[in-house]
Amino acid sequence: MEEPTAVERHASGSGNSAQRRSPKVIRTGTGGLDVRAAVWGFAAVIVVLVGVYVGSGNLRWFDAALAGYLIGVLLAVFATVYRYLVWIQRPPTAVLNRRGWESFRRKGKVGANVGGLIGLVFTNIFAQGFIRRRSVARWAAHQLVFWGCILAAAVTFPLTFGWLHFESVGQEGSHYRAFLFGISTASFPAESLIGFVTFHLLNIAAFLVIGGVLVFLHRRLRDPGALAVERATDFLPLAGLFAVSITGLFLTVSSLWLEGRYYSFLTDLHALTVILGLLYIPFGKLFHIFQRPANLGVHYYKQAGAEGEQQLCRVCDEPWASKMQIDDLKFVLPQVGFDYAHEGSSNWQDTCPSCRRKSIALAQTQRVGGFG
Amino acid sequence: MNHLIQGKMFVIDQSRCIGCEACVQSCEECGTHRGQSLIHLEFVDRGASTQTAPMVCMHCEDPTCANVCPADAIKQNEDGVVQSALKPRCIGCSNCVNACPFGVPKYFALPDQMMKCDMCYDRTSVGLAPMCASVCPSQALWFGAPEEFAETRRGDLIHEYRFGNQLVPTKVATVVDDRTFGPIDVMGEPGGQRWQDDPFGLEEV
Repeated sequence: MEEPTAVERHASGSGNSAQRRSPKVIRTGTGGLDVRAAVWGFAAVIVVLVGVYVGSGNLRWFDAALAGYLIGVLLAVFATVYRYLVWIQRPPTAVLNRRGWESFRRKGKVGANVGGLIGLVFTNIFAQGFIRRRSVARWAAHQLVFWGCILAAAVTFPLTFGWLHFESVGQEGSHYRAFLFGISTASFPAESLIGFVTFHLLNIAAFLVIGGVLVFLHRRLRDPGALAVERATDFLPLAGLFAVSITGLFLTVSSLWLEGRYYSFLTDLHALTVILGLLYIPFGKLFHIFQRPANLGVHYYKQAGAEGEQQLCRVCDEPWASKMQIDDLKFVLPQVGFDYAHEGSSNWQDTCPSCRRKSIALAQTQRVGGFG
Repeated sequence: MNHLIQGKMFVIDQSRCIGCEACVQSCEECGTHRGQSLIHLEFVDRGASTQTAPMVCMHCEDPTCANVCPADAIKQNEDGVVQSALKPRCIGCSNCVNACPFGVPKYFALPDQMMKCDMCYDRTSVGLAPMCASVCPSQALWFGAPEEFAETRRGDLIHEYRFGNQLVPTKVATVVDDRTFGPIDVMGEPGGQRWQDDPFGLEEV
């Protein structure tokens, strides 16, 4: 029989229920549809559809051959918005979400925070220095996959939505002109370096992604620590990214060197991998793309906490954390089924981590007649 | 909860600690967090004594750290081992560091993430002792089969702590003289004599 999850144990009240308060908020993940999240999910889908309609000149430039990709995008948009909204309703996430924004909008700090945000987005989201400080190889791999995907998305999404299309200039096929939202932009010779790079942007993206995937895969197959804790779900995104990239490259191979043989089959195969990949984003490991930016809110939460009142330890009387964060934890803990209060007046959560460890050691040694 | 992993159990007995710090050094050698020592070694009362005490993750049955994580980054595996934060998810908020009743998770500022003891899962999942237990000369940290403990050690094993109103069952065991007195009550009134009053039992009759 499957073990119940932590939340299910709380919900069922089993396992030392006498010691725990009933949680105020229970989210089991199986409690039916979250109507609010579903409504927002549909709203996001409608925004995309309106964007496609308007941006493609009332579908004039919409490429019907890419309709399958659009359906994949719409499903992914709905599921991503839905999961995101369910996620930020979890008690600790909801508190952090609220506090992050409050900290960001603090009086007298808005200007500095907005300015600082630009730097944070660059260092944390784009340059990903926090990964480099963990391992240069992992950082390089992550950067390859990240920029490969950004490049691919920057090309394919506008093409799928009908926002971007190419036309030959005049009656000749030797020059092309790019149109963005139906507006004429630069033209370029097809046989030039610009033409070559433009028409091979997705191949470049595929090589970047495959390079990153191979480095990640090497670590997952060789690193003893990774081998011990990894799951099949750690390989799934690597397999998906590889499948999308390699089937995309197959199209170019067929076109350039096989005189278009198997092209139709390869098109379907590539579309299938992309659509499955899009559907995987909201449900799997790649959802961290949307979770990770919460780290920016944490930055402001910590900053506000450090500048505000500090929590004093109930044992050593030393400051050890932001009082705001400890108060937030004491608000969240009962909601997730924990009660660390003691005789109404004190709370174990007011103890600093060092004094927690010392107190535990002292309590244990009391039960064995002292040290030694 | 299954207290065993590969038929063995992890036992902590702080009263046996001699402060050699072998555990602190060996912890860095763990395959899952090479180069980072995640065990804690506290001076219990620095002004009055040289006594030290280690602390490892107790691998709670229902981990407080995982419940307060806003990013869902802390997972418990099928062996009941509470793993370190998932790197793509951890947003470095330190909720777990502040909420863990045992004071175990550590926040590392440079990678901006939390790391914690995962019972050397690369070793314990194949029946080997965690690094700290493999080097502890006084068996304050011990890993082995229950029958081996019964043959070579004295005392009862207990898997429950109480912090105020909260009972916390753990996978890792600790040692008490008599388990019929119930969980280790950390915030309760200390019963009997405080150990500092007579650290070597000289005044005992």
